[in-house]
Amino acid sequence: MNAIILSALAGVVMMLSGIFTNKQSVIKLVSIIALLVLITGNVLQTYGHCSIQIDTKNLLAFSKAGLYFNTLIFISTFVYFILSGKAIEKAGVNVAEYFALIFFVLCGVSILTSFNGLLMFFLGIEILSIPLYILTGSDKRNLKSNEASLKYFLMGSFSTGLMLMGIALVFGATGNFSLNATGQKTAYDVLNAGILAPVGLLFIFISMLFKVSAAPFHFWTPDVYDGAPSVFTSFMSTIVKAAGFYAFIHLFETKSYDLGPSWKLLLTFAIVLTLLVGNITAIFQHSVKRMLAYSSISQAGFMLFSLYSSNTLAKEGIFIYTVAYSFATIGVFAILIYLKDYTFDGYNGLAKTQPVLAFTNTVFLLSLAGIPLTAGFFGKYFMLASAVKAGAPLMLVIVAVLFAAISVYYYFKVIQAMYFKQGDAELNDNVPTSFKTALIAIAIVIILIGIFPSTVLNWLYF
Amino acid sequence: MGITQSLFWFLSVLALVAALMVLLSKNPVHSVLWLIVVFFAISGHYILLNAQFLAIVNLIVYAGAIMVLFLFVIMLMNPNTETEPRKNFLVQIAGIVAGGCLLTVFISLVKQASEMNNKTALLKTGNIGLIGNLGKALFSDFVVPFEISSVLFLSAMVGAVVIGKKN
Repeated sequence: MNAIILSALAGVVMMLSGIFTNKQSVIKLVSIIALLVLITGNVLQTYGHCSIQIDTKNLLAFSKAGLYFNTLIFISTFVYFILSGKAIEKAGVNVAEYFALIFFVLCGVSILTSFNGLLMFFLGIEILSIPLYILTGSDKRNLKSNEASLKYFLMGSFSTGLMLMGIALVFGATGNFSLNATGQKTAYDVLNAGILAPVGLLFIFISMLFKVSAAPFHFWTPDVYDGAPSVFTSFMSTIVKAAGFYAFIHLFETKSYDLGPSWKLLLTFAIVLTLLVGNITAIFQHSVKRMLAYSSISQAGFMLFSLYSSNTLAKEGIFIYTVAYSFATIGVFAILIYLKDYTFDGYNGLAKTQPVLAFTNTVFLLSLAGIPLTAGFFGKYFMLASAVKAGAPLMLVIVAVLFAAISVYYYFKVIQAMYFKQGDAELNDNVPTSFKTALIAIAIVIILIGIFPSTVLNWLYF
Repeated sequence: MGITQSLFWFLSVLALVAALMVLLSKNPVHSVLWLIVVFFAISGHYILLNAQFLAIVNLIVYAGAIMVLFLFVIMLMNPNTETEPRKNFLVQIAGIVAGGCLLTVFISLVKQASEMNNKTALLKTGNIGLIGNLGKALFSDFVVPFEISSVLFLSAMVGAVVIGKKN
């Protein structure tokens, strides 16, 4: 409960801080302090100290894994504030409100890691997505941003409608919102239980595929990620997406039995299509920002493996993947924001003028591609290993590895532009030393996790 | 046939006819007005189920607020048959097939929902839908989601201000 209450309070504090001061550096400082308080509160609750106890009537269930996931998400947000805080200040005029909305999103994340029923699940998903519609459209003068926001809002509302329909059907079948009321069922039970619950779950499944931008419901992703201000794209494609996946897995861990044997088939179809669409389309992009949007679709395909296997290894995998993918993508976007030209040519010769930026960007891109000795490698390794352990067809794993190899092509195109092409990459602004230091620190963390993945996983058990 | 049953049949026929008229009217403003009739008929059904609160909320929210919004949008855009683009024949066929599939799914769903066969809804009796019970449930069993939804509304309000404010 600590994280939910503190993040909502932090949102209110940020909202009101806009009244008392116009200095953006003060607002940013307040937000960082609020985030540190949030992390402390959450860690304290994880170890059973000073936690606010409220009788939630079994609607929320706090597990160690969920609380630890909160901590990881909050730390990623901290990294995001440190690297991109300056860009948030420049995204528009209502800086205090942007920070408030980000804290409301974090409140949604804390609900999604602890829900124990479809009711809280729905509330969490909504608190997570409504602030995003607004952040997408925060650049009011930019027509593309407006279009992206409207598109996201309409499509998002539609998928929410589908989800509500699904929840209503499941409620009609079981008579309550609880996750484990039906318990584990045999195939025989499923066939006799009527069709209400499976159809309802299918609707929820579809709308969750939409929320995590997996194919065939990914069509909004490139336009929205491209149209939104880059800072908020970075937030949406990392922190929010990882939280969506955690909720997805948490929900279907117990519920997938109701879907019967067709469940794995459905999921296989979604995984292969997501990997195919994400990777193949990313190759043909000219803008790095758009390429990252498609690459985020293909990364979603890998994260779906944890849903396929849903065993301990998969659970560990989603933690590693969250850290690896969030840190690397936040870093890549933080560097992208400094560039004047978002195309691949805009990176030409960056290594000569800004060696630190070019080097750290290389580390982040290698991690995204899943090259060994970076965190991204272990993210992908855990996903595929868990699928093998869960008895996935070998063909599926081979397809995933092939697509991972294809993804190397478009990530290396950026590295090639930075190191081997002539040109002078133009920057918007002078790069402060503190920014470079932060980048180097995160690159070191990514490499450390790539060598000792247990540093992240050990906290799950101790 | 008692008065409840006759009211039920009357309201059902009214709802279906009005819903058909929404689709068949040429003038979009008439469609919206027929939609209001649909909402009134459904509210009547709620009253038959002894769910007065739901009936009133349905009227206030749907027939009141949302319909006014619909009317505003339609009157502002002023669409008519001349300016609307002609729908492609293939698109129409695809629409019919997709709609038919959904209809089949729903019909089979209702037919296979064995737990609902031979059961009638609570008519006249039962106090589940009364506002007192709703309030008690909201402030005892569901107090956590009730309070947490305030975060949702707060974020929506902040968003409305951010989008609507002049710079």
